[in-house]
Formats: sequence, structure tokens, C-alpha cells
Amino acid sequence: MADEILRRTPPAERTKVPGLSLRQYKAILRKDIVMELRTKEMVTSMGLYSLLTMVVYQIALSQSGSAFDPRTIAGGLLWLAFIFTSMLGLNRSLVHEKDQGCLEALLLSPVDRPVIYFAKASGNLIFLLIVETLTIPVFALMFLQQGGYGGSWWMIPLVLFAGSVGIAGVGTLLATMSVNTSGKDFVLTVLMVPLMYPLLLAAVSATSAAVLGGDGSISQFWSGIAGVAGYDAIMVLAAYALYEFVIGA
Amino acid sequence: MTDVCTDSAVEVRGLTRTFGVRKALDKVDFDLPRGAFLSVFGPNGAGKTTLVRILTTLSAPSKGTVKVCGLDVVEQSDKLRSKIGLISHNPLLYPDLTAEENLQFFADMYGVENPAQRARELLIAVELDHRRLDTVRTFSRGMLQRLSIARALLHRPEMLFLDEPYSGLDPHAMDILDNLIAQVRHDHTFVMISHDLDKGLELCSHALILARGKVVLSAPKEEIDVDDFKQTYRSTVGMGVA
Repeated sequence: MADEILRRTPPAERTKVPGLSLRQYKAILRKDIVMELRTKEMVTSMGLYSLLTMVVYQIALSQSGSAFDPRTIAGGLLWLAFIFTSMLGLNRSLVHEKDQGCLEALLLSPVDRPVIYFAKASGNLIFLLIVETLTIPVFALMFLQQGGYGGSWWMIPLVLFAGSVGIAGVGTLLATMSVNTSGKDFVLTVLMVPLMYPLLLAAVSATSAAVLGGDGSISQFWSGIAGVAGYDAIMVLAAYALYEFVIGA
Repeated sequence: MTDVCTDSAVEVRGLTRTFGVRKALDKVDFDLPRGAFLSVFGPNGAGKTTLVRILTTLSAPSKGTVKVCGLDVVEQSDKLRSKIGLISHNPLLYPDLTAEENLQFFADMYGVENPAQRARELLIAVELDHRRLDTVRTFSRGMLQRLSIARALLHRPEMLFLDEPYSGLDPHAMDILDNLIAQVRHDHTFVMISHDLDKGLELCSHALILARGKVVLSAPKEEIDVDDFKQTYRSTVGMGVA
């Protein structure tokens, strides 16, 4: 074996690598995507759960009669499905790291902890958006056929993206907190639902406005989006600030 | 504070680590000169892994100061991480990535230049180049440990920590690991946790026995009488958990 390959770097030759944080961010995100493409664990389990939730909704609403317009509760139904679906994926994203001690290997490297946070949150956001994209047509087919879609086409993608940023941002922090606990799923659920309350309220309001349309729906939609965006900004900043402490605990 | 390794590779002063009311490490003091090979012995629960976790910045001391390569493990942990490598009984590799992908990923994390080339040359060095495109999940224990060594050497660290690296290896894999350690021995400082007294004493230049979180014995190898050392070690085995 060539000595040169195994030799250490003399201290004087060690220099700070420019752009390292961006390179690390891309490496973690790429790694998560490659692993997901290979195992399909997160998207498959989240997608199936989300679709089964739609089926359960349909059964639950099957006796409500023709006078009942499911569009009036469409926003609530959608976000309820997405919030619980996201918990499945969020837990798995950190359990992967923890299982083989890979989280330790990651923490041993000279990576700023917020870089890990943003990379993991970005991965979770991508997987959640994929599942939402698969779920929306099924939802529309099941619940929006009767009354139709009242808003503009861009409203649903916008509120889904804004709401998902909040779920992935806060959820990644909470999943990191819960990964070291014995009842991971329980801890994540107990922490996540109360913390997501303001986000859900605003996202449901914006989604309902988009689905129902009509007078005043635009202002209700933007008011909801403003609430979601405000939540995203505050909570993602808080998660960014807390992540170093949480991941090192 | 200097960025260059001083004569002492490790300086530990009054190190205490508590978990609730339990003291995993209790006022531990020792120094390790640069280029030395320290073998740390002790019964289960003696605090060996806690010590290595603190030396590698994975855990913080409750009290005391710890410097590795002249850098404080709490205050200068970012700088320190690029100078150390860890080989554990746990391979610290992603099972669903290939050997090459694992090394390239960690090369990116350490900011290694030409990660593809560096990964390839290390795969050749640890004789795993022929399996570079296979996922790590399919590797034997010995192959995992060789790849783990390659991962730890990717960024050319100054100091290597070995946490029971021989655990679970067959004799052939142990020979390969011995050979790899021998090749990097002259150029690195080592801290190794071991339950194997003969192997640990064979490799080390310094030895330390921990029991119930305290240093029972710490000495350079030339000052150690092997029989007395083994007797001291055996007397700690019944001391229980810290």
C-alpha cells in the first residue's frame, strides 16, 4: 500500500475549504435522495398511508347524504392527512442516520449543525411534496367532483408548498429530538401536533378558500398564506437556532 | 491558541462526566505525547467509550478540560473534527450506499479535494476496489471494518481513535486490520479501547486502565511489568459499573 495514500496532512497544509457548507448541504441531500430511490421506504409508506387515509375519509363521509358538500371540509381533511403522513417520513429520515451509527459519523465531520438541519429538512420537504402531488388528484377525484374546484389552479400548489415548508422545518427538528427517545413515534406526535396548530389553522383556511372560491376567497387565501409564511419564517429560524443544541444532546 | 499539534496530542485535566447522579468519568487526568499509541483497558461500564466520545467531540465534559491536538474539545470542536478519525466496532457507514458512494459522501463532508479519486485510491489501499459498486449492506464484518478504516483516513487525520476495532473480526480480517494499522502507525497518534489485553499491549506505547470512571493505572509501556499490569486489570473487572 502506498504510504502517500495513507499519510496524514501536515498541520501547515490544512486550509479552510471555501464553499464547504454548500458542498456538505448538497452531499447530505443527494445521499438522502439516493438512499430513498434505492429503498423507496419513505415515499412508499407515506404515499400508501396518505391514499388509505383518503379511502377512510370516503367511507366516513359516505353516509353524509347528497346535501352535504365535502368541499366545505376539504382543507381540514387534506392537512389532517398530510400532517400524520409526514410523521411517518420524518421519523424514518432520522432513524436511518441513527441505526448504523451514521449520525455519529456525520457529527464527527467538520459540518456546521445547521447545514445538517437544512439538508435533512430539504429532503423531507421533497419527499412530502412528492406524496402530496400523488395524493391531490385522488382527493380531487373523491371529493371535488360534485361541486368542482372554485379557485385558481395555482392556489393549491402554493398553499401546499408553504405549509409543507413548515411541516418539514419544524418536523425535522422534532424528529431529531425524538430519535434518541424510546417512544420515538409517540414523542414526535405529542410534540408535533400542538406545535403545528397555528400552521394548520392558516393552511386549512387558505386551502378552503382555494377549493370553494367565490366572493372574498382571494383575501381569505392570502390571509391564510400570510399566516403560513409567518409561521414558516419564525419556526424555521427557531429550529435553525436550536438545532446545534438538539442534535448534540 | 495554536492550530498545530503540540507535543501533547491529548491533555486531560480533571475530566468528569456525569449522567444524572452517576459519574461515568471521575476526575480523570492524563497526557499522551504526539505519535504515541494509547491502549485504554477496563471492564464494561468503566467509562472507556464515554472517554473516547469526549475526546472525539461527540460528548461534552461535565467538568474539567480536554485538549486534543492542542485544541479544546468544546471551544474548538469544529477545527478539531478535521484532524481526527474514528474507527469503531460500529462501521459508521450507510448500508444502502455503495462503498464508493459512502467514501465520496464523507469526502464531501470533510472537504477533501478530488473526492472520487481519493475514494478510489483508498478503496484500492484497503483491497475493496473490486466491491466499490456494491452496497455496504452486502459486506462481511471484515470488509466493513476495512471500509471503515478507509472512511477514517479519507481526510488524512492526525489522530485516530479505535473503539474496540477487532470486535467480531475473524483472524484473517484481524491480520488485515493489523497490517493497515502498522502502515499508518508511524504517522499518527492512536487511542484504542480494547478488551484484549495481549493485543492492546502489543500495539501500544502507553497503557491506561479505567475502572468505575477513574484512572487506576496510566504509564508508558516501558514502565509496565506485564504480569503486574494484567493482575491490576483483572482486579478491576469485578469493580462494576461507574
